[in-house]
Amino acid sequence: MLNNNHSVRNSMLASALILTGVSVVQAAPNTFNTALPVPQGETIWREQLVLRERSDDGPMDREVSVQALGSVLGYGVTPKLAVFGVVPYFFNKELDVSTPMGRISRDTNGIGDVSLFGRYTAYQYDFTGGTFRVAPLFGVTAPTGDSDDRDRFGELPRPLQVGDGAWDGFAGVVATYQRLQYQMDAQLLYRGNGRHDGFAHGDETRLDASLQYRIWPFSLEGISGTPGFTYALLESSLVHRERNEISTGTDANSGGTQWLLAPGLQFITRRWVVEGTIQLPVAEDPNGDAIQDDYIVRVGFRRNF
Amino acid sequence: MFTKMSLLLAALVFSVSALAAENHYRLGVNGLACPFCAYGIEKRLNKIDGVTEVRVDIGDSVVQVTLKEGNTLTEEQARRAVDEAGFTLRSYAEVDGETGGGNAE
Repeated sequence: MLNNNHSVRNSMLASALILTGVSVVQAAPNTFNTALPVPQGETIWREQLVLRERSDDGPMDREVSVQALGSVLGYGVTPKLAVFGVVPYFFNKELDVSTPMGRISRDTNGIGDVSLFGRYTAYQYDFTGGTFRVAPLFGVTAPTGDSDDRDRFGELPRPLQVGDGAWDGFAGVVATYQRLQYQMDAQLLYRGNGRHDGFAHGDETRLDASLQYRIWPFSLEGISGTPGFTYALLESSLVHRERNEISTGTDANSGGTQWLLAPGLQFITRRWVVEGTIQLPVAEDPNGDAIQDDYIVRVGFRRNF
Repeated sequence: MFTKMSLLLAALVFSVSALAAENHYRLGVNGLACPFCAYGIEKRLNKIDGVTEVRVDIGDSVVQVTLKEGNTLTEEQARRAVDEAGFTLRSYAEVDGETGGGNAE
């Protein structure tokens, strides 16, 4: 009976979580990438704290809470080619769910799956006080995170693990149009998730857009040097995820499509960026009883060397 | 008193001559539109021998470079540094006196 319950729980909970979504970005937008340059020989260090809450209105009353830190190092190999490494660390990934035995909580923590990617500026048009750039990017995610952690109920559901146990690949293109007063970024990204031990996260396609508008100083007239800029941000993410693969089939209660909007603020100096956004769901179309986002808070900083 | 005055005069003469001997350049840079990006240009230009000061006026898309006496910045050096930072050199000019005194636009 315990095994049956465990099996049923695992099956139902398999839809509960998706990848944490730690942003792998180097520059301007807070939730995704940019085409702005990393100068040759320059290193950019970024830390981003992610607090994500998810829930559903189903009978199991599932609640998922994630607290993670995304650490990113970027390096300019040439003026057009930059490489990045991303290490997610999960302080806690927790699932609370109602079962016939009562409310239970399951959680884990640790280093997640490390990603490496490269970005190449394929098109660049610079003009006075602005630039337009297009840059494809390609990367892999290595199975460095634990994918078979256990608790007193047995092995944790695969979506709750900090790693998926498989090599994943992603590719996309990002475009940036930047002027002194504002900046716009757009990104199209596809992530193909590998399969390990009978499980694979559903593949993901996402379209992101960002507008950053300088609100202080509002005018640069009469200002010499390089003052710090404060930007108001509004970012949009349209994300579609396929169903997770389990054994020989797919999990009907996983994946779907969601649209998130993220207002935020960003303060930029020559050496530092400090930023924060809150992503809120505007529309969600989950498959079956797939769990949905309540909010995602992202705060962090960047530093160049 | 006489000694103090002599030292003060010597220091003044020395500082004025040192200032006058510096070489100043004004670079127009296209593609530069945020403070975080400006640091890359400063870093590349500061690697050039003799550079004592790099000042980015982001609102004007201009970079002012100061070099010690006897050191010069060629257009090719400037172009390479700006390229390596990921931007495009729009204009190059040697200017007289304090940085900002010339206009190469």
